[in-house]
Amino acid sequence: MAKTLTKEEVNISELLDRPWITIVWDDPVNLMTYVTHVFIKLFGFSKERAHELMMQVHNEGRAVVSSGTREEMERDVQRLHEHGLWATLQRDDKI
Amino acid sequence: MSSFEKVGDGYSLDLTLDEAHILINLVEQLLELLGEGDFFHHYDSSDPLAQLLAMPSEIVTPDDPVLLRLLPNAYADPEAASDFRRYTEPQLRGAKQKNLRIVREELTILVDENHGGVIEDLNADIWLKALNDLRIALSVRLEISEDSFDKFELLPDEDPQKPVYAVYFWLGWLQENLLGLLV
Repeated sequence: MAKTLTKEEVNISELLDRPWITIVWDDPVNLMTYVTHVFIKLFGFSKERAHELMMQVHNEGRAVVSSGTREEMERDVQRLHEHGLWATLQRDDKI
Repeated sequence: MSSFEKVGDGYSLDLTLDEAHILINLVEQLLELLGEGDFFHHYDSSDPLAQLLAMPSEIVTPDDPVLLRLLPNAYADPEAASDFRRYTEPQLRGAKQKNLRIVREELTILVDENHGGVIEDLNADIWLKALNDLRIALSVRLEISEDSFDKFELLPDEDPQKPVYAVYFWLGWLQENLLGLLV
């Protein structure tokens, strides 16, 4: 699962202006075709890109589907939850 | 077997009376679990006025695992998750209730007239989301995992969970059927 950032890390990451990211997690219920459909609908991905991300969720257990400001990612997570996908947001932990 | 069909620009669903009963039962149970009373709501839950009496300070992480999966935490950090939930959960809950209410209304016609038949001109997007939420709810109760299909096949016919599995897989088939028409 996602790690919790400490106060120090948050301050450093703010200096580096790291974006926030939305992560979709694998679950054994959502149909592969449905997840692909939701990615196309919510993020406007091509069919190929949506399929690639869906396969990443399926094979690796998670995939980053969007990045941006915290407010934007909160909106994306909410829309994914409305569609029944399991999503969280966090600061991007890559430097 | 029941199936969705594309008719012009719209979609229809042909159901037997038994199938309509199964669906409306599940829809009503899930509406109840989501906190919907058996009365008609005359306000739209996305209306800002509807939030006036919502008492956001009392919204806590759900104990029921079905509700926790349908209304999940947005952050790994419990404090951030709880803050986010306080402000967004009524809207998420409302969106799910709204989809289920629409599906319920369409099923009510068949059930009240006591026959199977075709639901015409249905909203595919709403049906997809409602079917998905029903599958998620059943999956939590059935503790569905990647190898559940094998487990289901091996269950003896008299096992009380067998028909529930059958409904779960049927809903998945219906959802796949509708998705296939959208492409």
